[in-house]
Amino acid sequence: MKPAAFDYVVPRTVPEAVAALGDAGRKAQVLAGGQSLILEMHLQRIRPELVVDINRIAGLDRLSVEGDTLRVGALVRHSVFESAQSAPGPLGALFARAVVNIAHPPIRSRGTMVGSFAWAHPASEWCAIGTALDADIEVHGLEGKRVVAARDYFHGPYRTARRPQELITAVRFPLLGDDTGVGFIEHRRTHFCFAQVAVAAALTVRDGVIGEARIGLVNCADRPLRAGAAERALIGVEVGPPVDGHRLPDGHPFAHAGRIAATQDAAPLAEPFADVEYKRHAIAVLVGRTLCQAANDQRSRLAQPKGDHK
Amino acid sequence: MEQWTRREDRRLLTGQGRYVADIAVPDCLDAVFVRSGVGHGTLRAVDCTAARAVPGVVGAWSAADLSELPAVPYTLLARLSNEESVAGREWPALVKDRVRYAGEAVAVVLGEDRYRAEDGAAEVFCHVDPLPAMVTPSAAADDSVRLFDGLSNIAFRGEAGKPVEESVWREAAAVVEGRYRQQLLMPTPMECRTILAVPEGDRLTVWSGHQMPHRLRRELAALLGWSVDRVRVVVPDTGGAFGSKSATFPEFVVVAFLAVKLGRPVRWIEDRLESMLVATRGRGQDQRVRLAADADGRLLGYELTIEADVGAYPHLGVGLPMQTAWLATGPYTTPQAYATVRSVLTNTMLTYPYRGAGRPEATIALERAMDVMARRLGLDPAELRRRNFIPPESFPYRTPTGRCYDSGNYAAALDLALETLEYDGWRAEQARRRTDPGALPLGIGLSCYVERSGGEAGGLHEFGSVEVGEDGTVTARCGAAPSGQGHETVFAALVAGTLGVAEERVRLVEGDTDEQPEGLGSFASRSAQVVGALLQHVSRRLIDEARERAARLWELPVDEVQWSGGIVHAAEDGSAAIGVADLVKVTGPLRVEDRFESGMAFPFGSHAVVAEVDPELGTVRLLRVVTVDDCGVVLNPTIVRGQAFGSAVQGIGQALYEGMTYDDQGVPVLASGLLDYLLPTFTEVPPIEVKDTCTPSPATPLGAKGAGESGCIGTPAAIVNAVADALRIADPDLLQMPLTPDVVWRAARAPKHEEEVR
Repeated sequence: MKPAAFDYVVPRTVPEAVAALGDAGRKAQVLAGGQSLILEMHLQRIRPELVVDINRIAGLDRLSVEGDTLRVGALVRHSVFESAQSAPGPLGALFARAVVNIAHPPIRSRGTMVGSFAWAHPASEWCAIGTALDADIEVHGLEGKRVVAARDYFHGPYRTARRPQELITAVRFPLLGDDTGVGFIEHRRTHFCFAQVAVAAALTVRDGVIGEARIGLVNCADRPLRAGAAERALIGVEVGPPVDGHRLPDGHPFAHAGRIAATQDAAPLAEPFADVEYKRHAIAVLVGRTLCQAANDQRSRLAQPKGDHK
Repeated sequence: MEQWTRREDRRLLTGQGRYVADIAVPDCLDAVFVRSGVGHGTLRAVDCTAARAVPGVVGAWSAADLSELPAVPYTLLARLSNEESVAGREWPALVKDRVRYAGEAVAVVLGEDRYRAEDGAAEVFCHVDPLPAMVTPSAAADDSVRLFDGLSNIAFRGEAGKPVEESVWREAAAVVEGRYRQQLLMPTPMECRTILAVPEGDRLTVWSGHQMPHRLRRELAALLGWSVDRVRVVVPDTGGAFGSKSATFPEFVVVAFLAVKLGRPVRWIEDRLESMLVATRGRGQDQRVRLAADADGRLLGYELTIEADVGAYPHLGVGLPMQTAWLATGPYTTPQAYATVRSVLTNTMLTYPYRGAGRPEATIALERAMDVMARRLGLDPAELRRRNFIPPESFPYRTPTGRCYDSGNYAAALDLALETLEYDGWRAEQARRRTDPGALPLGIGLSCYVERSGGEAGGLHEFGSVEVGEDGTVTARCGAAPSGQGHETVFAALVAGTLGVAEERVRLVEGDTDEQPEGLGSFASRSAQVVGALLQHVSRRLIDEARERAARLWELPVDEVQWSGGIVHAAEDGSAAIGVADLVKVTGPLRVEDRFESGMAFPFGSHAVVAEVDPELGTVRLLRVVTVDDCGVVLNPTIVRGQAFGSAVQGIGQALYEGMTYDDQGVPVLASGLLDYLLPTFTEVPPIEVKDTCTPSPATPLGAKGAGESGCIGTPAAIVNAVADALRIADPDLLQMPLTPDVVWRAARAPKHEEEVR
């Protein structure tokens, strides 16, 4: 199929882009990497009257550490995060583990992290990570800038707190300390397709005891989720010795957390080849395995000489 | 040519290929079809008025606007369909009153380009009152809702062999049963269907990516009411077919009809979403099997009951399941065998040949049952097969289901597969893992197959010619039509080899009905076997003709004239010699054309797979795949190897990934295209070791059997058997393809066979 006719503008500044989007007479879409938009336009599921191409806006491609946050500009491509050094400490490691699950290298060289937040697909890796880590989304409108917390941002599949006239300029993540281990595991039928389920985890461990747990659930509901109940069950738990996550004993705290995430936190929707029963089971398994990965990551960080925790 | 594996690769791999969509014709219109959004329903109204007002739209029509539009032609080729099946079940090129499958075309819009035509199509109003949509044979077979008023949904019945005597089942040491679903698959060529129809004077030139240009010419001429010489069909570069490009599709009828009606070029370039919705499907069988053996594992009887999903109209797919029935007993001696077919119309797009075409279904049914039998008898699955193979000295071998196998050495193929796989080593690893609670279960699966290549009786011949020009160039023409198989490389080499001239001197012309007036095409793995034999035959006749001419010239007896490397010379003293180019200059054009017929051939092989299963998530990881295929004498090892590899990947697709689901209205869930219907991609391709054995076919002078469908036929059952072996489940019927994670996870939770109480 071919896209329906549309107009196309290339603003050079954020105010110009916002002004273009603010033309209430026309249904507008922002084009960054085009990873989803171009496909949806081809399928005519989206028929914008105006496409606002933000690729020439200077500065939007900036990735910067500001205090204890990482600020990811709207034109930072997925592929940047393939290197674990793209962000300091465990955050970079988490991004690197997650990003390889996003499509293929050519798509990762165009698609953007902020675009994933704008599109808000329930199977988006970045959106679940942002939710788990309490990311902030910066949006610019005609009235200026506002910041939306990730927990308030996602309203459902493709539905967010962004108003049609607003442009997301960046997403900000809190940096993770070196006492935090990270994990990301995705389950899908082929490398090409969307996740049936994926899980992001960050475990902060002090003296062998879990002080903080963050678990992001991908495609486990109509929107990205943070598995709060499972996280609470982990606080104060001893991580214990390394285990092989493939056959986690039922009584292991990570297996327990997995079951809580699957039954209390997740609200999975049936899909072809994955009904709700299967999905809940897969969520429990994947949460357990990802927590094992995060605990192992934390252990190996601990074992590294200081100052080499990049 | 050094850096290119095949002669056509320089063109195809550097972007120089010329496909139908690359052919620019002035004033050409693009056709876009308005398609039904439900799978079954009564068409109440179609209104194209608004579409006609869209800028750039040249015309828009429903069936009511084109009362003289012919129906889609039926083909009764190769016993794959019959008059009784098609009677009263017309397939209209545009829906007249009843929609019978999702995506069936209700109107056509022609625009100055595809964008404008799509804008027009969006404005066509169409109202369909939905009827219950039946997307499985079991839902349609009881005729509670009929696709054709007054006619049963059962469009065809057939059988092969004789019913197995009751005493066989009663007295056998072991009887195993199974139910297997052969899911509907999409052939998914890289290039979807294409047609460009160009009226020129009182003729029509049709460009199409097609497997059977002469059939397309014949059918188009018939529906236009023209003589065949007024239609020329040309097949340019074509990006794959896999069986799915041999018909005159509804869209082709409309395009040719409108091109003639308007006197203007019209083309239809199918896009991926369209193709997924309305290109033909493969497979589609619900099978029941019963297999009996004595205590030593010798097979006593086999029964295969096929309920086939043939889609909404009884085209070639209606009798296609007979291919399964005729090959039911595979490579084994089975004293009694009986296969029955019931072909049921459903509200799905039509079933049609897809790479393997009936043979994968036969192999999967039998080979799964063989593994169940081995387990039942406590025999190694390889040993059970070995005990039942038709011995090499028994050929030609007539099977109880009506096939006559030409040649085979089935045990040799199995032995090579086991040796290549390191079967004993993997069995040891499997045993080790079964004692290690932390290890993932591992299974080994085998699949031995026999298939048929070349075509059916009446379709085993081909036409062609060889001609030498005054410059010494050799031009070979034939009725084949390649869609990527490498004919230019293989056939040029074959002709050059037969004539003893350099390959560079030989040019191959095919896929053009003006160049080659008669032909059958490329299907049923027939090109090497049948067309190769023809080209060798006409090349040899050309040598004879050259010798006769020289003999006349030199006034010598013809047996004193020899041909060697493109030079004719007198055998006795060698004093007279003339190059063939000079001979042409002296004696006039040298061209030999003929028809040549081969026999059916029966390629075979053994495939072996090692699979590791994560029972917690249900994922299957193929650790090793070994394919041993025997296609007789191989004309070009590199090309056969590529074919074996590619078809094995498609076999993996059937086993693990490819499958369709439907919504309540019988519409396949394909809105996101290849994100919904998953093909194996590079990441999913395991190490595949391709090997072969060589048992020449006596049915064709080259000794070549068909190659290229082997993986689709042999690989799926080996994979399913490996997963069943890993999980040791009591009821292997739980494993129905595709073995998606949810299916495998459920099977993994089911009782194991050791726990079974018998």
